[in-house]
Amino acid sequence: MTATEPTPTLSSVLRPGTPKLVVDDVSKVFAGRKTSVTALDHVDLHVDQGELVCLLGASGCGKSTLLSIIAGLETATSGVVTVDGDRVVGPGADRGMVFQAYSLFPWKTVAENIAFGLETAKWPKARREERVAELLGIMALANFADALPKELSGGMRQRVAIARALAPEPDMLLLDEPFGALDAETKRHMQDFLLTLWNRTGTTILMVTHDIEEAIYLSQRIYVLAARPGRVAAEIDIPFGGSRGPTTKRDPRFLDLREELAELLAT
Amino acid sequence: MTTVDRAGSWPASSAVAGTTGEATAVAEGSRPSGTRGRPPSKLLGIRTEVPAAWRIGFGVVGVLGLLALWFWSSSGGSALIATPTESWTAFREMVGDGTFQTDLWASAQRVLIGYSISMAIGIVLGIATGTFASIDAFFEPMIGFLRYIPAPALIPLFLLLLGIDESPKIWLIVVGTAFYNVLMTADVARNVPREMINASYTLGAGRLRILRKVILPHSLPGIIDVARINLAAAWSMLVVAELLAAQSGLGYQLIRSQRFRAIDAMFAILIAFGVIGLLSDVLLRQVRNRIAPWARS
Repeated sequence: MTATEPTPTLSSVLRPGTPKLVVDDVSKVFAGRKTSVTALDHVDLHVDQGELVCLLGASGCGKSTLLSIIAGLETATSGVVTVDGDRVVGPGADRGMVFQAYSLFPWKTVAENIAFGLETAKWPKARREERVAELLGIMALANFADALPKELSGGMRQRVAIARALAPEPDMLLLDEPFGALDAETKRHMQDFLLTLWNRTGTTILMVTHDIEEAIYLSQRIYVLAARPGRVAAEIDIPFGGSRGPTTKRDPRFLDLREELAELLAT
Repeated sequence: MTTVDRAGSWPASSAVAGTTGEATAVAEGSRPSGTRGRPPSKLLGIRTEVPAAWRIGFGVVGVLGLLALWFWSSSGGSALIATPTESWTAFREMVGDGTFQTDLWASAQRVLIGYSISMAIGIVLGIATGTFASIDAFFEPMIGFLRYIPAPALIPLFLLLLGIDESPKIWLIVVGTAFYNVLMTADVARNVPREMINASYTLGAGRLRILRKVILPHSLPGIIDVARINLAAAWSMLVVAELLAAQSGLGYQLIRSQRFRAIDAMFAILIAFGVIGLLSDVLLRQVRNRIAPWARS
């Protein structure tokens, strides 16, 4: 790599014995009137503390369902999800989630949106305001604290959504195709932004995407999900460490990985 | 070559003996040559905006047309259609001796009380049925049955049960509008995006907090719209009740004007209803935009 020596990230410093998140033998069957569909078939995976992992798969592979189960928004037909050894039985602020769109409260300003989880957790007002100001700074939204979501661009809205999920200091962030609705330019911007954020905060991130390049560019590791039934087809380590930049996408290893993943997805 | 092909693919009848492609194109569709596609219609485009001047113009023409129709039909000397001037005079007389204000207040009171009860039922049951499938399962068949009983059909029963003073009129308004308020408010509550509710859960919010802090505020502008739309039905129910049994109110004055053949007063009251409706509509729109500027299109 031509880039300067990468600064060690939290993930490379902390090599914990037990993973942060464990998905153990999770299956999900949607029972219909005549037929039942197996959306997830005995899925096993884990995410370490401070890691950034992508779930990569074509549409219909159950990757969003899996993320919903980890978030506690859906229940698995069988299998267990644990975070720090605790079984997930429902949603909670410890697993902050960011959706593709339509999740911001349109009647609340940017600052009020970010403060929602803090009010829920009954943070005192002073601490709340401090935290919101901090996140507005990190997210480069300081000038838009009092704007309504409809006054923002798509990329800014997603930054608000990330800030809102990050505010109550969750153990991990779950991102469900957060850049899927953005144009190519904004998307690239947001990917670099997410990397910066991750390097800065050391948050554990699990992200769902169908975009191969996005997955390679962002992740430490990728789980490739195959469809019908949804299952883990491959687990791929990404060798770029914590430093990614414009040159990463021209790295021969990047191109090889892209080809390899495209083949895996096509099968 | 292409010119020949184009002409050749067209039905022979319309392929007027044009030597060039342009000539053929003009003959085909009376569209200018060298263009593609249908040009958009200026005034009758499907769901397109019309220039402001035209929009206002159309509205004015419509209202003036209605007035002209009234002038024309009343000028024939028919005793059953009051002229605009007669109606205006009758209106000023009613305002002058205070009967209009008294009747308006009597009617408005009934609508206000009855419709407030109806909206309260609508908001509580509507949000509940639109949010919880079990509550919906409980009420849906019941409401499905009850709402098909025409509310005015209940008047004889109400008169027997509640007497002839205010309560039967108020309850007729409640019964005549509550079901629609419930069903329409339920739809409003169902329109809260699933992602918004899920995001709230993952921010640590419980069901009560989501109900109060997400579903209710998101539904507020929709609820005001429901109130605005069904208010017309409330006035209808009021008039039905007042026509049958009342000693005051605009509906009662209507039946009185019929009895005394005061056609001019009758017309004045009819127009008053329209104006009241129009004003309350504008008012509720203002309230909606004031309370929920985020929902303004």
